[in-house]
Amino acid sequence: MVSIKYYLSQNSIVGVCILYYVLMALVVPGFFGANNTWNLVYNFIPLLILAIGQTFVILTAGIDLSITSIVAVASVVGGYLMSADSGLFSSPLITVLVGITGMVLAGAIIGLINGIAVTRLRMPAFMVTLTSLMFFSGLAIWLTQSKSIYNLPTLLVDAPYKTLLGLPYPVYLAGLVYLVSYLILNKTLVGEWIYAVGTNVKTSWLSGVNITSTIVFVYIISGVCASLGAMIYTARLETGSPVMGQNVLLDVIGAVIIGGTSLFGGKGKLQWTAAGALLMTMLDNSLNLLGMSFFLIMIVKGAIILLTALFNQYQPKSLVHA
Amino acid sequence: MPLYKQILYILWILILFGSCAQKRERPVIGISFETLQTEYWVASVEAVKAECERMGYDFIVAVANGDANRQFEQINNFISLGVSGIVIAPKDSHTVIPIIKAANRAGIPIAVYNRVPAKNTGEYVTVVADNLEISRNTVTYMCELAKASGKKHKALVVLGDLGDINAVNRREGFNQAVKAYPETIEVVAEVPSEWNQEKALSGVTNALQANPDISFIFTSSDFLFPAIVSAMKSADKYYPIGHPKHVVFGGFDGDAMAYRLLKEGYLDADGVQDVFYECEASVQAVIERLAGKSVETTIVDPGFVIHQDNFDEMSSKMWGASF
Repeated sequence: MVSIKYYLSQNSIVGVCILYYVLMALVVPGFFGANNTWNLVYNFIPLLILAIGQTFVILTAGIDLSITSIVAVASVVGGYLMSADSGLFSSPLITVLVGITGMVLAGAIIGLINGIAVTRLRMPAFMVTLTSLMFFSGLAIWLTQSKSIYNLPTLLVDAPYKTLLGLPYPVYLAGLVYLVSYLILNKTLVGEWIYAVGTNVKTSWLSGVNITSTIVFVYIISGVCASLGAMIYTARLETGSPVMGQNVLLDVIGAVIIGGTSLFGGKGKLQWTAAGALLMTMLDNSLNLLGMSFFLIMIVKGAIILLTALFNQYQPKSLVHA
Repeated sequence: MPLYKQILYILWILILFGSCAQKRERPVIGISFETLQTEYWVASVEAVKAECERMGYDFIVAVANGDANRQFEQINNFISLGVSGIVIAPKDSHTVIPIIKAANRAGIPIAVYNRVPAKNTGEYVTVVADNLEISRNTVTYMCELAKASGKKHKALVVLGDLGDINAVNRREGFNQAVKAYPETIEVVAEVPSEWNQEKALSGVTNALQANPDISFIFTSSDFLFPAIVSAMKSADKYYPIGHPKHVVFGGFDGDAMAYRLLKEGYLDADGVQDVFYECEASVQAVIERLAGKSVETTIVDPGFVIHQDNFDEMSSKMWGASF
């Protein structure tokens, strides 16, 4: 049997999460309790989904800075397809299904464009995705003329609060995304290729890895995850917004980096990302409950991400799977 | 040690520590502002905090930095903390609806400050300035000044974000006022600022170049004054009252720059929102709801117009004067 001590030695971020939780339970009134635990879960889920997509990209030594624009475009596309103001469909179920499909397609297409630009144009990932960020953020605002989209179907806006076997629907969505991602990274050839590309591109190419397909694939996954995150944000705010998720980029990249996934690729685990996302969520929640200002919270989070990135830089680069 | 024992120990430690967290002695009011980007919001949050303090309540403040999603999460944090009431200045009139629903589900009274929520079935109190009336009165005063000059004036109005009902009402107030003076005022430029300084600067600069004979300017918010004054200086139109090149100039809010411009004689009139009244009313509404009393669902701040003739009398009521 694996002892907790051994497990924590291999997954230090999980230990940090537990330590932080205990510390905050001790000092922050209202932090420890069923209400706040559910609150943490609700806030954690969309961040986890976005961070899982980002993990795929960072494992290949890339980065996807465009996820906030994907969230915005997906929110606008879904909002337009589902709003009663558009009146495209009469059946609520068909409306929601078409809306979700549209959102996922929008995310996948932007991911595909990013992947093709990185591989075919041989541009640095940060340059490609920064350009995408500007282009698609602008597109979302231009398409809506800065206006948000309302009157979304009840079926969608009630979904975050509906439960199945005592667990809210978003928990199942996050569980499904996690499970599929875990299987891809650990049980498929593509998963092997993702780690290989991140570890050494030249060696991977010599070993017969399809570099182009692998990189395009991770950007599509990132786009799809961003659109699924957008679905939760859109549902709970009951609004399709061209500025949806505008400030979430730091949290997403922070969750992956704090988790321990290397910015240089080839090293990382999904459970690390999950723990990183949980820590980011707890940081936000606890500092907020302590009455700390938004700007101070940003400073604290920024400092933690910087320290973790510095720490990771001096860690040995090796193949560590999800 | 067996795994189940290790888990039990951890759970025991968590429960022990959780029970140690100090509870607050006084009831807490959660204050959520979508931004603190302008003096108006800073003055407002300070006034809400002061009123909470005065009434014997603790408070906790969260600022969402313009992010409706973050504001939603912050309100949920307040709810899980068990606050007694919530005062919120929301991002917009629609994204506040799920927030109202969340507060209602938790049975926590909520006052919506400064922005009227879109139509919904939730329970809340709205405290808002009469934007239409205040801007109409302000612009009417400016029109009277223009009329007294005996000349026909070409007017420029700087609009806010037209997704914001306050901006819409201020534009409507402006339109209603100038409509009554067709012989004196001709509106030649409507500059959309979307509550953005840079857009206001470029828009006003372009409008003054296209219409160099503009002699009447009204802005939907005082926080845009730095951009507008800069554009007026570039166009050689920034002169004090009494100078032949003076432009009839007015604004809305009552901030510190409006106070200074009035005092220095550059600004003719300003519509003032009574921040102190609105903030006190917001906190009082929450407290009265907590006490089970019935409260008006909408509390309107009538505001007032400050101008050169009543400056000495009214400036002490202008929130920007003490900023």
